[in-house]
Amino acid sequence: MKSIALLTAALLAAAPAAATNLTVVFTVTDAPTGQIMLSLYDNEAGHDAGGKPVRAAAVPVKDGKAIAQFDGLAPGRYAIKSFHDIDGDGKMGMTPFGMPTEPFAFSNNAQPQGGPAPWSATSFIVDGDSATTSITIR
Amino acid sequence: MTLDRRELLQRALLAGLGASLPGEALAAGLAAAAQPQWALALGDVDGDISPRALTRLHGRLPANLEGTLYRNGPALFRRGGTAVNHWFDGDGLVRAFALRNGRAMLQARFVDTVKRQIEAAAGRIVQPGFGTPIRPGAVLGSADDTNAANTHVIAAGGRLLALWEAGSAHALDPATLATDGPVTFRPDLKGMPFLAHPKVEASGRIWNIGLSGKSAFVWRLSAAGALEAGQLIKLPRASYMHDFTMTQRHLIIVLQPWLHETADMPFSRGMRWRPEQGTRVLVIDKADLTRQRVYELPALFFFHLGDGWEDKDGTIHFDGAFDDSPLFASETASALVEGRYPRTERPLLRLVTLHPNGRAQMQSTEITAEFLRNPVGSPGPRPTFHVGGYRPERPFARSINRWDWQRGRGQSHDFGAQQIVEEFVPAGRWLIGTTINLAARATELHVLDSRHIDAGPVASFRADVALPHSFHGSWMPA
Repeated sequence: MKSIALLTAALLAAAPAAATNLTVVFTVTDAPTGQIMLSLYDNEAGHDAGGKPVRAAAVPVKDGKAIAQFDGLAPGRYAIKSFHDIDGDGKMGMTPFGMPTEPFAFSNNAQPQGGPAPWSATSFIVDGDSATTSITIR
Repeated sequence: MTLDRRELLQRALLAGLGASLPGEALAAGLAAAAQPQWALALGDVDGDISPRALTRLHGRLPANLEGTLYRNGPALFRRGGTAVNHWFDGDGLVRAFALRNGRAMLQARFVDTVKRQIEAAAGRIVQPGFGTPIRPGAVLGSADDTNAANTHVIAAGGRLLALWEAGSAHALDPATLATDGPVTFRPDLKGMPFLAHPKVEASGRIWNIGLSGKSAFVWRLSAAGALEAGQLIKLPRASYMHDFTMTQRHLIIVLQPWLHETADMPFSRGMRWRPEQGTRVLVIDKADLTRQRVYELPALFFFHLGDGWEDKDGTIHFDGAFDDSPLFASETASALVEGRYPRTERPLLRLVTLHPNGRAQMQSTEITAEFLRNPVGSPGPRPTFHVGGYRPERPFARSINRWDWQRGRGQSHDFGAQQIVEEFVPAGRWLIGTTINLAARATELHVLDSRHIDAGPVASFRADVALPHSFHGSWMPA
């Protein structure tokens, strides 16, 4: 009995939790052109220390909106860094001093504090069948 | 960014407490504590100043002197029980003194910066600055989010540019003073630092620099204010710099030993005074920015330089108001907001000479001097006009002076103990500028004959308001 219980527990732990989908809706008011480029993070270390995102996407801006969809995510906490690639060159514009020239935004519309907003301000829960979050870029 | 443990602790404490104690305590104490008379120079202006006539005190305006004196300076230091912690961090108020038909009119309007919008909405001072710490509610997405647009105002291309030093110029309408917004000279130069002291050639061409650590961006604008060229150059050290100067052929960048060593907030906390490293003077060929020479001088601190000139043999001269340490910037200018004057400022008028053989020399007067101005577009030796008369008993200047380096002679007009004298600007033969009359509690406008400073103003006017001490401005002939 004991071994069966352990086996059951192990199987339960190993079974993938139900995957969920995340829709990110951008309201874009700064310029009507280009695309929104975004990175999705699933942990604080990666987000705050410049690590790799779990997913990335580029979605066109149309009629002041841009919509990104991430399917098959494990439920949990996530955060998004995004910028409006107004000129559509696929990269964040920079000044000669390395400061961004294209508008950027973070999930929860968290405000930058002399650098990217931290995970503590940007992360949100993704669970259930699907989740939606909204970000405004102005 | 390197932070020592003490700084980290202070940051954590500030964040945790949600307060900068000096500012809070100051604002609370302001009402209670008796303020010295000179505190009028750092008083708050509640809102824009609608157009109004000035009262003529004496004299008559010269017939050929028609136009507008634009001036800029910080004029809001306190909001809802909080205050900025440094004179340089107040919101920029642009003032227009228009002279027409023998009469003088005044209007003034705050530059509508992002900083001002954020703080008006918060009802508190929250944005960090030169000496003001970051507070909860601050928004820091770009350099221009802390831009106070409070240092200088020039005219270029049919618009006014309200200048700061660590972010964009702001464009204003010359007639209404309404803010058009930060100027982006080219898409990739959005928010780039643009010092508050552009230099103008006789042709009208404008040169400026912007700084970030050991990098400088050299701006070259046409007389109409359009970008002609921009180039990044490396500097030998990350000096604080409020001003630079030039001759017809060279840009002159004075690298004082007040060095930006840590990326800290407020900005001035990241600076260290390293007098043992002396001052270096970088001379750059305007025609080829890679052609550079470096000269050495003893440790000096300065905000303002006069225009340079060059002899036939290549010897370069420029003057400036040089102090022995950065204590005014790091301490006194913070105390002034609290109505304290802990230390006498004694910037002296000095002349730097750079010889072709690489030797640098400095000649000093014992004349206290600030806010140097020279006649526009004079490539050779020229007089320097400056404020002076600094005394231990109170801050700020009380006289307007003229100095001729060739003759080693000067003139002065002392406005007296009851007047705070602001920068005076050459306007053809005349000099025009403002004072704060502490007895009358009012801003005054004065015109002097630039050749007879010692005769005092030829005409003086008084406003019905006292505007706080302004920094710099420009005369625009009608």
